[in-house]
Amino acid sequence: MIKYFIYILILSFVSIHSVEARVYLDITDPTFVQIPIVLPKWKSVEKTPPALTAKAYEVLANDLTLSGFFRVIDHSALPVYLKEKEGIPNILSIQEWASSGGEILLAGEATLEGNGLNLRLKFHLIDLVEQKHLAGNQYDGMLQNLRNMVHRIADETVLHLTGEKGVHSSKMAYVVRQGESREIFIADFDGANMRPITQNQSINISPAWTPDGKKIAFTSYLKRNPDLYLIDLEGKNLQRFSSHPGLNASPSWSPDGKQITLMIGKDGKSDIFLIDAKGENPRRLTSGHGNESTPRWSPDGKQIVFSSDRSGSPQIYIMSSDGSNVRRLTYEGNYNTSPSWSPKGDRIAFCGRAGGQFHIFTIGPDGSGLKKLTPNGSSNESPCWSPDGRYIAFSSTRTGGSRIYIMNANGFNQRLLTTSKGGESSPAWSKRFE
Amino acid sequence: MKRKSYIVSIIFILCIGLILMGCPKKTVVKDEPSAKEAARIEAERKAKEEKEARRIAEEKAKEEAKLKEEAAKRELERSLQAKQTPGIEGVVYESSLLKPIRFDFDKYDIRPSDAEILKANAAVLKKYPGLKIQIEGHCDERGTNEYNLALGERRASSTKKYLNSLGIGTDRISTISYGEEKPLDPAHNEDAWAKNRRANFLITAK
Repeated sequence: MIKYFIYILILSFVSIHSVEARVYLDITDPTFVQIPIVLPKWKSVEKTPPALTAKAYEVLANDLTLSGFFRVIDHSALPVYLKEKEGIPNILSIQEWASSGGEILLAGEATLEGNGLNLRLKFHLIDLVEQKHLAGNQYDGMLQNLRNMVHRIADETVLHLTGEKGVHSSKMAYVVRQGESREIFIADFDGANMRPITQNQSINISPAWTPDGKKIAFTSYLKRNPDLYLIDLEGKNLQRFSSHPGLNASPSWSPDGKQITLMIGKDGKSDIFLIDAKGENPRRLTSGHGNESTPRWSPDGKQIVFSSDRSGSPQIYIMSSDGSNVRRLTYEGNYNTSPSWSPKGDRIAFCGRAGGQFHIFTIGPDGSGLKKLTPNGSSNESPCWSPDGRYIAFSSTRTGGSRIYIMNANGFNQRLLTTSKGGESSPAWSKRFE
Repeated sequence: MKRKSYIVSIIFILCIGLILMGCPKKTVVKDEPSAKEAARIEAERKAKEEKEARRIAEEKAKEEAKLKEEAAKRELERSLQAKQTPGIEGVVYESSLLKPIRFDFDKYDIRPSDAEILKANAAVLKKYPGLKIQIEGHCDERGTNEYNLALGERRASSTKKYLNSLGIGTDRISTISYGEEKPLDPAHNEDAWAKNRRANFLITAK
């Protein structure tokens, strides 16, 4: 055990050193190229069922692909003499992996322990170009937590190669269409463990996470009025939170968790309000004749970005969090809605209409650098950011029904996340669950 | 002298007698007042008849009005369809007498052809002053869900304002926006979208 710790310490030193020495990847860099990572077959230690090890391998390969940083070379694609090699190679023998086509090697093994309920996953990361060991770690946990343990390995791999942890341990909430009803579902980052948290057959829409990741806020028509509710991740403890006659929708928590901005219907139109963490003491931030929607906090808690049709068509605006200093952000096009502020603060994503279709755009908070991210010939809506700001989730009807996709923040590597029967929309990305 | 006074007495008595006897004669003379009386009676009878006729007519009218009202009520009842939506509290009614209106993409103003529909709807609401309605604002699936929630709110409220301008009290009208969440036609084409951009009317109290 002590020996192992020493080993980890040495590896940690090596890995910190290597991160400083070489910034491997920045997916927002326009010259970014996915790094080829080779995944040898994992070893099933002792009596561990090979199917279990294969499962861990498969989840990891998918995680690394989803991250957008890597081009995964899996063991079946390796040269014949490497194909069947399994487990963690000796640091002295890494030269034989030179013909694998990878720049990084991620090797691992799985051990089923104790009474068959505990799992140990071990992995090592090796730089094949510089020929050195980058990092290694092991995770112990209950067998049923296999996916979460693998997600941590993926997060750690991303940390060692980019300088910032991955988001594989985050979750996604979204709306699933089921006939006439709309239910709120949550799933892991990779789309696995999809499960409903509402099952009331009502219209349940517009989910948002509370900052602690313990509850989901959503709008439901249970009482024949679009009221705002809170519910926990087990689908229990439903609580009506804001129920003014008319709209109560699209909440966004301030970074300190003390205030919530949301849409409230008043006088036949929607305005932006602030309420406290208990859902009380509403304070109106917008007035005048505009119809306002989708307020979202800036990560520093000083400003709120929202959509308004006060100019005659919906456009994106920014105001101070007390409702003062309103300024217009978008001027291109006549339909810009659904803004979302990057957690790093540097970009605002929104849905805009261009060429008769809806696309995801990003723009700087000063109005500079407008970028269209989704391809022509598709319709895309409801962008939201990953907790690290490196990805955007959105819904798209590019293959027919509405589905959730994720892409790198610069629009690269757009990939499908969900496939239920009825179709999914309105994604909301959680914090990382450590 | 005594005899003379006797005669005078006789004459006097006769005169009295004559006077008295003249009374029946006088009664004959007073035949005219008796005709008047008859006319009065006749008039009274006529008035009574007329009153009766009026009463009957009134009653008939009342009866007719009642029948008409009942017919109207039946017509309303026939037009109604109770609507209970799973997961949404309460029972409401749809009426074929209250026609929905449509909107252009991303618009909430009342189109001229729809103004005629709203006038007809207002007439129905005037005919049935007991009705209370809820106007539902809807959008097509294009555009973001949350913006469409706000747009649906506007569509419902501009419809309410128009009905109010036609004399329907705002206390009889509530509004609700369903955004793009309750399409009439779930297809993804122009036809379906046109049908789905609408405001429709539900009866919340009869």
